[in-house]
Amino acid sequence: MSRRLPFAAAVVVFVALFATAAPVGFVRDEGYYFEAAKSCEAWLVLLLHDPFAAIRATEQYWSYNFEHPGLAKLLFASSHLAFTSTLHFLPDAQSWRLPGFFFAALLAFWLAVLGGQRSRACALLAPALFFCTERTFFHAHLAAFDVPICALTAGVGVAWARAIGILPGSPSRMSGGPWLAFVYGCALAVKHNAWLLPPVLVVHALFLPAAARRRAFSTLPWLLLSPLILFAAWPLLWHDPVKHLGDWIAFHTHHVHYAWYYFGRELRAPPFPVVYPLAVLAVALPLPQVVLGAAAGLRLLWDLLRRNLGALRLLELGLAGGAVLPFLLGTTPIFGGIKHWLAFVALLMPEAAALLEETVRTATGAVPWHTRTRALAAGALAALLPGLWQIAHLHPYGTSAYGELAGDLPGAASLGMQRQYWSNNVTSVLPWLNAHAPRGARVFFHEVNVESYRAYLQSGALRADIRYASGPWDAEYAALQWHREFRDREPETWNAFGTKMPATGLYLDEVPQVVVYARPGLPGAP
Amino acid sequence: MRAKPGDEVQIWPPWAERARLFIEAVPVRTEEDLRAADYPGVDRVWLLALTRSPRNGVGKAREALRARGATAGERVRFGSLELEPWELHGPRVLAGLTGSREEHEVDYVSRPCVLVRLPGRFSARGPGGILHVRAGIVGERAYQTFRGPVRVEVRADGSVLGELTVPPTEPPAPGWRKLDVPAPAGDRLYEIAASASDTDRPFCVAAWVTDR
Repeated sequence: MSRRLPFAAAVVVFVALFATAAPVGFVRDEGYYFEAAKSCEAWLVLLLHDPFAAIRATEQYWSYNFEHPGLAKLLFASSHLAFTSTLHFLPDAQSWRLPGFFFAALLAFWLAVLGGQRSRACALLAPALFFCTERTFFHAHLAAFDVPICALTAGVGVAWARAIGILPGSPSRMSGGPWLAFVYGCALAVKHNAWLLPPVLVVHALFLPAAARRRAFSTLPWLLLSPLILFAAWPLLWHDPVKHLGDWIAFHTHHVHYAWYYFGRELRAPPFPVVYPLAVLAVALPLPQVVLGAAAGLRLLWDLLRRNLGALRLLELGLAGGAVLPFLLGTTPIFGGIKHWLAFVALLMPEAAALLEETVRTATGAVPWHTRTRALAAGALAALLPGLWQIAHLHPYGTSAYGELAGDLPGAASLGMQRQYWSNNVTSVLPWLNAHAPRGARVFFHEVNVESYRAYLQSGALRADIRYASGPWDAEYAALQWHREFRDREPETWNAFGTKMPATGLYLDEVPQVVVYARPGLPGAP
Repeated sequence: MRAKPGDEVQIWPPWAERARLFIEAVPVRTEEDLRAADYPGVDRVWLLALTRSPRNGVGKAREALRARGATAGERVRFGSLELEPWELHGPRVLAGLTGSREEHEVDYVSRPCVLVRLPGRFSARGPGGILHVRAGIVGERAYQTFRGPVRVEVRADGSVLGELTVPPTEPPAPGWRKLDVPAPAGDRLYEIAASASDTDRPFCVAAWVTDR
């Protein structure tokens, strides 16, 4: 298959994300990553002017957000330096997020490559099925690490498959061990999920036929070069690397557990339900993706048991399984919706696309080819439509999205599912605050951290004179984000403000997301 | 049908709090367990339900009200909303000992109650009857299971009427604990004292006296 379709898929995804990013609020973690990117950008400027000073000062500029490696932050900073600080071409947030769009486009490219091994239709359907859900579409907009590591998981899969000769295609510079080492190095330098990839590749190698197994085991040592990329892209490691590596590993092996609302229970500590990640996917994604993804996973497992699984499909199964396995253990932190195991969804999509195509072709039987093609187009549209509707209906409130199995947002609220997270939905009430809050008003933004608040000021989404209050007692307005574990904040606000009547809010399909209170007598107060 | 003193609105599903934007005439309640919920001083509850919402469970809400002896009035429909008055036939409140000026969250439901600093006590005068005491730890600290219980001792004119233990909440056990005890007739000085080994938890108490 030519690379035209993967390129086309990548371009469509990039353009779609670029065009729809503006209303996406700054999630809590982005607040930290924006700050980290600012620090990295200052370091890059220093590097350009005084390289030795920059090398000496890595601790000063890179210690912030030490728990994540450097590559993504370096890209956020470089993008901002080029497109905003230098060319004044993009707003701050858009340039920080640009590398995120790029990684999403790479994911589309690699999913199309994998899907393309089945058919041309699957080359388009695999990325389309992945991105046509509000949850995945939303995550692809962020200057964060979840979609980048998902993309690089697929990228490592493709690079590995090419390196060991199980992915047909013309030999190129991007088909050998060095390329695999580079892609895996990038994954390592983006997020710690990459630690799980070598074991998956080793297990995959063990399952291969003898000749391919030999090639695989002779390819594996290339991965030993990958930490060079981690080291090069993360200047924090340039001084005292053992300490910083230790801090990085310790942070994630001792990560705190945040409360998470799940089927009417507030999960706070292990053991978590074994089926947690699968159950959350089932209720959060649109029904076609749930059905096709589940069928794809089951068929891959069934074919594995029947020893009827080709090397590439085995690799997809291994990468998907490796992405979700830690979250089935019951001890790994489970907060963050589906973002931590996005690669599980992504790597099932090529098989899901094939299933969809087969189903349509079987249903249309012996009708002429042009009718079958039309039927396939209709089938694809039917499969993608619920997700497209979810995006049209809910974007940019991606962490609130639920699918048909939950009964959409209202059903999920009744089931007792996490309403939202990361505080980005606050964008919905910023225009109201800008219009009503008196000059210098103090606003309690609840889950919005001070870093994201600064980003809203910087972007102009929030009026520059509006101040950040530390609690309702200290505020004139309060923008409360509905979380089960923060229910105490609302009566606290009533007590402080002397009113129980909200001034405005964000209600998606009647389900409260953000509720704004104003002290009586202030503009906008009921 | 018109609202009158002693009326409250109970929204259903309990998450449908957008209603707060529009309801001014009567207090809005978001109780999750309509069979067990206390409605002290409330004669009639208006069940305001989103009947077209998926998984709304309004049928179960009605069952729960019926199970506590409430009787339904005429149901009115406004688009996707249904409004139905329910006479609670509850006991008459003779005195509220803690008032309802402030509210705090216990078990994820907002409760009219007063904060008691641990260890701490408060007292109030009231008539004899059935004394109802409710107590719970506010917020997420209620779920810190490594902590000890809070003990609540209830006295009337110096005599112990009862004790209530509020352990850390481990669902499905409730965090909002109940004590209902008879108090001898006549004017009484009620004292409620709360103590715990660790004292850095917001603790909330509600108490009232009814005729039965």
